[in-house]
Amino acid sequence: MAYDLQLSHIGKVYENGTPAVIDFNLDVDKGEFIAFLGPSGCGKTTTLRMIAGFESITSGDLMIRGKRVNDLQPEKRPTSMIFQNYALFPHMTVRQNVMFGLEVKGLAVAEANRKVDRILDKLGLSEVADVRPTRLSGGQRQRIALARSLVVEPDILLLDEPLGALDANLRKSIQNELKLLQRDLGITFVFVTHAQSEALALSDRIVVMNAGRVEQISPPRELYTRPQSIFVARFIGANTLISGTVRGTQDGHVAVETAFGTLMSEPAGVTPAAGAAATIVLPAEAMHVLPATMPAAEVRAQHGINTVPCKITRLQLVGHILQIGMVLPNGEAISLEGHADKYRDTLTTGSDAVVAWNPTDATLIVS
Amino acid sequence: MESRILKPALGLYVALFVLFLYGPFVVLTIISFQQGPEGGPQFPIIEWSTYWYRHIFGLTPPSRIAPLPFGEALLRSMALALMTMVVSTVLGVMSAQAFRRKFKGSSFVFYLIVLGMMVPGVLTGLGTSLLANNVIGIERHWYTTAFATHVAYTFPFAFLVMLAILNRFDSSVEEAAWSLGVDPWTTFRKVTFPLIFPGVLSAMLFAFTLSLDEFPRTLFASGRDQTLPLAIYGTFSVEIHPNIFAFGVLTTLFSFALLSVYGILMAMSVRRAKKMAMQEDIV
Repeated sequence: MAYDLQLSHIGKVYENGTPAVIDFNLDVDKGEFIAFLGPSGCGKTTTLRMIAGFESITSGDLMIRGKRVNDLQPEKRPTSMIFQNYALFPHMTVRQNVMFGLEVKGLAVAEANRKVDRILDKLGLSEVADVRPTRLSGGQRQRIALARSLVVEPDILLLDEPLGALDANLRKSIQNELKLLQRDLGITFVFVTHAQSEALALSDRIVVMNAGRVEQISPPRELYTRPQSIFVARFIGANTLISGTVRGTQDGHVAVETAFGTLMSEPAGVTPAAGAAATIVLPAEAMHVLPATMPAAEVRAQHGINTVPCKITRLQLVGHILQIGMVLPNGEAISLEGHADKYRDTLTTGSDAVVAWNPTDATLIVS
Repeated sequence: MESRILKPALGLYVALFVLFLYGPFVVLTIISFQQGPEGGPQFPIIEWSTYWYRHIFGLTPPSRIAPLPFGEALLRSMALALMTMVVSTVLGVMSAQAFRRKFKGSSFVFYLIVLGMMVPGVLTGLGTSLLANNVIGIERHWYTTAFATHVAYTFPFAFLVMLAILNRFDSSVEEAAWSLGVDPWTTFRKVTFPLIFPGVLSAMLFAFTLSLDEFPRTLFASGRDQTLPLAIYGTFSVEIHPNIFAFGVLTTLFSFALLSVYGILMAMSVRRAKKMAMQEDIV
């Protein structure tokens, strides 16, 4: 059992019969940074709270370092939780807050003090050690919460939207600190967030959840480039979804008949049978927008064999980034951002154009 | 426009309110400074004096007016109020804590508790005395039967105060403590209790003051030895002298002292709570 944390077939049903989490399966290696990502109410926080022991588990097994902990009280689990509202003890100073978890462990005073000093120093809190946390800024409070949790040396640190209450700049800097801290300590982090940028930037693997179910578990890049479900395709990144019917394989690609003609795509896993309904997920990054005047053969050869005509509705230059707004023949509006140099003087608002992409840059999801 | 009528009307209302609230006490205070021992409990003041205050403490030469028989009754009432305060507050905190989670029959239990302050006091007192005399067959005392009725009466108040406090309590601090490896009991002692302490103070104040001047329940349930309200009432049936007013002034001053202590403790806790609220605001 090399896994730090294992959730097998974890389910949670509330007393009124509402299912909150359905058949959650996940194996986490020691030192991994895992993010639970999903819209609010998807069950990500409930799952985190089940790991912490604040919520009962209806079915399945929760294992920490190979030991089943379903019925273990929260204080006996080797986990520690960081809360969105920090949940600091307002009647204690920063030092007392951090010391609190060590006090009850019956550690020798000298050793406890040394540990507290070390963690306060590490997180840049030594100067405010004797201040009540209520007088400090959001970023400082978040660091106190971190110090308080880390000083008890948990095997797994659980973080419930820890950056949600901070402003954008602070969020970025604490995000970096968090990542460095996690690498440095080498302990497992489980991080709940509804902000995909946070999940993509921080984690080794992301668990995307929706309506109590796990939609996909993948490293960030793969989640981005190879979504496995329509939900993930819509939730992550900026994808255009084109639905159609599989017509068979052709030159190693899957031919899909769509409203825009037959488009080639890459199967994700097993090649789907002809006649199956499927959706092409086209990331904004995969698209090339070209003037309609460019010869079709040149477009296909240079920019990708899939082409769809469109009309440019909006062009806006933001620094070196060009924002392009388009409508497809079916009236669907899409937009993408590209490097200004790439598109210099080739497009004009209101003109006809062509969107082209390589089959390998898009993903086919069989529905 | 509106305020031209509304403002004076509200002003008048407040003036009347204050008059009715403090009028009796002002009259009481004035008469307590009546000359003694000849002066009676009426106007005009023949001559200002502190005779009746000295009379309470037995510092006047003997006269036909007996000193107030309140010494023991006062001690009894204090002891009873303290006992009631402790038991009701402990029960109130514990039961309100229990109500933080829904349990089977919780609304039934809720009404059962609150019933204690709804039932007419005289009936409770009478019922208790009948129960003690005829059913169980024990003697009635202020520290047994009367104590029980006092707790039944004040516990709901303490319970409701604590319920309101815990309702607004952010339980994530408790969860944070548990997740640091702190057991629930230590968490309650070191985290929950200090944070709900202002509420506990209020519950204590309620229980203490309600018990201290409880009359109808005590009347039947206290047996032979009287509590202070009963003793005071007892003197009314003979003849009223200004010494009773002087006594009233002293007890009121005592209440004020008690309130000040409460106020100071409260201000300290509120300052802390405010800081906590600020913390939440920023969040």
